Parts: sequence; C-alpha cells; structure tokens
Amino acid sequence: MNTNLVVVSAVMAALLVWGVLVYNRLMALRNRTGNALAQIDVQLKRRYDLVPNLVAVAKKYLEHESQTLEAVIRARGQAQAAASALRAAPGKPEVADAMVAAEGALGGALGRLMVLTESYPDLKADDTMRSLSEELGSTENRIGYARQAYNDQVLAFNNASRAFPAIVVASMLGFHAMPMLQSTQSAQEREAVRVQF
Amino acid sequence: MTFWDFQASARRRTWGLLAAFALLVLGIVAGVHLVLALVFWTPALVAVAFSSLRLEQVAVHYPAGFLATNVGIVTLMVLGGAWIKRSNLSQGGLHLAKQLGARAALPSVSHAEQQYLNIVDELCIASGAQRPQAMVLPRDLSLNAFAAAWKAEDAVIVVSMGALNYLSRDELKGVVAHELSHLHEGDTRLNMELAGYVFGLEMLFNYGSDWVERGVSLFGRPLMAVGWLGWLAAQALKAAVSRQREYLADARALQWTRNPDGLGRVLRKALWLQDYPLQADALQPRAAAAGAYSPLVDHMLLLDVHSVEEMHDFWHLGGARWLASHPTLEERIARVYGEEEAREALPLQDAEQRWVNPFSAPLPLGEPQASPLR
Repeated sequence: MNTNLVVVSAVMAALLVWGVLVYNRLMALRNRTGNALAQIDVQLKRRYDLVPNLVAVAKKYLEHESQTLEAVIRARGQAQAAASALRAAPGKPEVADAMVAAEGALGGALGRLMVLTESYPDLKADDTMRSLSEELGSTENRIGYARQAYNDQVLAFNNASRAFPAIVVASMLGFHAMPMLQSTQSAQEREAVRVQF
Repeated sequence: MTFWDFQASARRRTWGLLAAFALLVLGIVAGVHLVLALVFWTPALVAVAFSSLRLEQVAVHYPAGFLATNVGIVTLMVLGGAWIKRSNLSQGGLHLAKQLGARAALPSVSHAEQQYLNIVDELCIASGAQRPQAMVLPRDLSLNAFAAAWKAEDAVIVVSMGALNYLSRDELKGVVAHELSHLHEGDTRLNMELAGYVFGLEMLFNYGSDWVERGVSLFGRPLMAVGWLGWLAAQALKAAVSRQREYLADARALQWTRNPDGLGRVLRKALWLQDYPLQADALQPRAAAAGAYSPLVDHMLLLDVHSVEEMHDFWHLGGARWLASHPTLEERIARVYGEEEAREALPLQDAEQRWVNPFSAPLPLGEPQASPLR
C-alpha cells in the first residue's frame, strides 16, 4: 500500500515537472514571437523617418514630378497614423488591416519614386541621394527580414506546441497555433511598378 | 535536401565527432597507461620467453600510485593545454581583430562601409542575433572574412577590403550571414576548446621527447608514439568538426538571406581565384604568407587559406583533405545551389564592368591570364 502511494506520487510529481517545463518553453517561444512582431514596428518607424529626407533631396531635381512626391508624403502620413492607431488598439483585426493597407500604399509610392530616380542621372549621382537610397533599400530589407524572423519564430512555436506529447499541455493551457504573416495583402502592394515617360 | 536538412545533418555530425573526440581523449589516457605498463612488463616477459621461469615468479610490482600518476599526468596535460589555449583568446574577439589590423567600419568613410554596416544590421534582424562589432581589414584586398567571439559582448565580424570592393550587396550579404552563423552557433569557442585539447596532446608528445633527450628512451618513445597518434587523430577530428561547421554556416546563410545566389556567387568567385592564382596574388601576396591571418582564426575564415598542395607537402599524407579545415569550394557550391544547377567559376570582375560594387573604387586588376603554375 505504502509503495503504491510512493509510486503514484512520484509519477504525479514527474508529470507536474514535465508540465511546468513544457509550459515555460511554450511561454518563452510565444514571448519571442511578440518581440519579433514589435521589431517589425521598429523598422516601419525607421522608414517613416527616412521619407521626409528622401523627398527633400529629390525635390531639388524632380520639379516636374511633384505629384509623385506628394503621393509619397501623403502615403507616409497615412501609414504613420495607421501605425499609431494599431499601437493604441492592438489586436483589432480591422485596425491591423488598415495598417497593412497603408503600409502597402507607402511601399508602392516609394517604389515609384525610386524607379523615377533611375531616369534622372543627376539625382542618381547625388551623394546624399545615394546614401539615402542605400538606407531606404536597407530599411525595406529590414522590414522583410523582420517579417521573416517573425514567421520563423511562429514556426518554432507551432512546431513546439503541436508536437506530441506537448500538444496535450498546450491545448489544456490554451496555446493555439499562430498564423504566419503573409507577404503582401493589399492590392496596391501587389501592383507592379509602372513607369511613364 | 533543403537548408534545414543540411543544418540538421551538420549538427548531428558535429555531435558524433565530439563524442569521438571524447572517446579519443579517454583512449589516450588508457593507451598511455597500457604502454607504460608494458614497459614495466617487458623484462619479465623476456625472462619468461628465454628462461624456464614462470610468469608468476617474475610478477612485476608497479611503483606506488602507478595508475593514478599515469592517468593524472595525461589528464593534467590535456586539461592544462586546453586552459593555456583558452587564456590566449580570453581577451576576446575584438582584441584579436585589432591584433590582426582590423579597424571599425564607419558609414562616413565610404558608401561601401555604410552598405556593409546596413547589411550587418539587416541580418541581425533576420537571425535574431545580438549585433556584433563590424570591422574592416583595410589593407587586405583578398576575398575573405572572419568572425570571432569568446562572449556575446565581444563578438566581431571582420571583412577584408577586397570583399567590400569586389562583392555586390547580395554577395556581401551572403558572406556576413555565413560569419554571423559562426557567432550564433558558438563556433569560435568550440574550436578553441578543441584546439586546447589538441595542444594538450601535443604536450604529451613533447613530454615523451623530453624523456628521450634525458636518455630514458624506454619511457620516452612509447609516450611520444601515443602522443603523436593521439595528436594526429585529434587534429583530424578537429578539422572534421570545422568542416561540418562550415556546412552549417553556409546553410544558415541560406536560411537568413533566402538567396542562394548571394553566397553562391562568392564561392564561385573564390573558385575563379583558385583557378587564377596569379590574379589572386596580385590582390594580396599569399594571405597565409603575409601573416594577416593567425592560426587562431584560420578555421573561421570564409575561405581556406591553405591550398590542398600546401597541406600535402606539409603532412606528406595521401589524403590531406581530412586535415583541411574547410570543405572544397566545389562541395560547398554544390550544396548551396543543389545538385543540378550551374556552378562554374565566376570572374572577379567583368571586362566591361570594371568593378562590381558601384560604391567602391576601381581596382588594379588586369586581364585574367592563365597561370603558368598550372
């Protein structure tokens, strides 16, 4: 009788320890995905900060292209507003959608501006412009990598939480599989950049 | 196979090799004891063979603490060697990079350095790694890079000026991602630990030769033999681990950049330099000869500085490949691109396009000429 009690309590204790370990691991992985998501926001901010400088330099050379420049500034304003709305109300799907759409519009406008600079050799050769376009290109990469890192984290979390036997603990404690970020969702962002002369 | 598979395979093989390394060290400890025991037994065995004495009558009495002394000395040497080596690098990666003549990369120096710093930042985001100090070897025009770290705080990535000049943005990204993987996976530390044990085994050999010089070759020679065998086997294992870490770093670079053509083109350019050693020499008098690379980092370099021929001459061994710290470029290229794709060498710069990176200065490189050496 006494031995049975010892065996049962030992098994229970082992199960409890295992449960705590799985919980801690899943929690750490989920926090990391949260951090990866925040990193995307950091990079988007970097893009907003760069845009005014870029436009200021381009303005000197692109007198007849004021429409494009205005479109960039407008898109930047909208994206920035959408981002702060999302920070104020995180987790609302419609706010997140609006933010993705505004980001897409800004990305498209910047893309058109950069294609335009290709046809202005003076602007392309401008030292400040070269430096800025490197920074902008780098920022676009950082946004892409931040999304990729987020997806890698989600993959790690989903793998850990969906594997047997951890899935037992995960489903009991409400760790649901997370969705991956899709590359582009807005129609504007998917639209190819068109150049007109 | 995908880069995930290559990573898993490289990790698995590293563990296998490390287990073999541990067994080797244990084997050496046992080997030394057995050899010394045999030395004690030799006169008795000779007596049994050439006289009517029986084995029980000539039984050998070991000196007190024979086993403990043998095991103790060998263990002390191996661990002590590891400790000495470790203290060499304890000053950190930054110190090491400065010793080799590297300086911090600055965005104000040139657009190429601005680009390099941006690439390091981008890939730190992609890998989720802490940002290492980004440095440049200003006088080195060869195509190379290394990373070193003892702790995460003193991690450093160094690229040569040649890499900045000759590589496009995507190619440089492949290089930085490869080096970042070495930092991420703790390869400097792993290699230093292994080098320490190898050094310890070398000390065993030296200890044996000390005895020989003092005229006690009966003890000295067996120690030398065991020490030398152990040292050679450990060198081979260490090199095998290093090759697996190269594969792992290549696969990591693919994971983070998601662009096989970045690192792939760098390796193909290196292949071209291998085929045109005269051009390579014009860029940089043999890297190894110039002393720019210390043995502390040569396993961390993107490319092997020792040619196969050099290793062959040095070791007088048939298959010198198994002492090489890097896999061949062809093997690496095949893994990066997958088996079926094109993998011919790429010239360092085209005839029309004087230099690859528009941000860098033109380079003093003539028309490629076939080397008379080949």
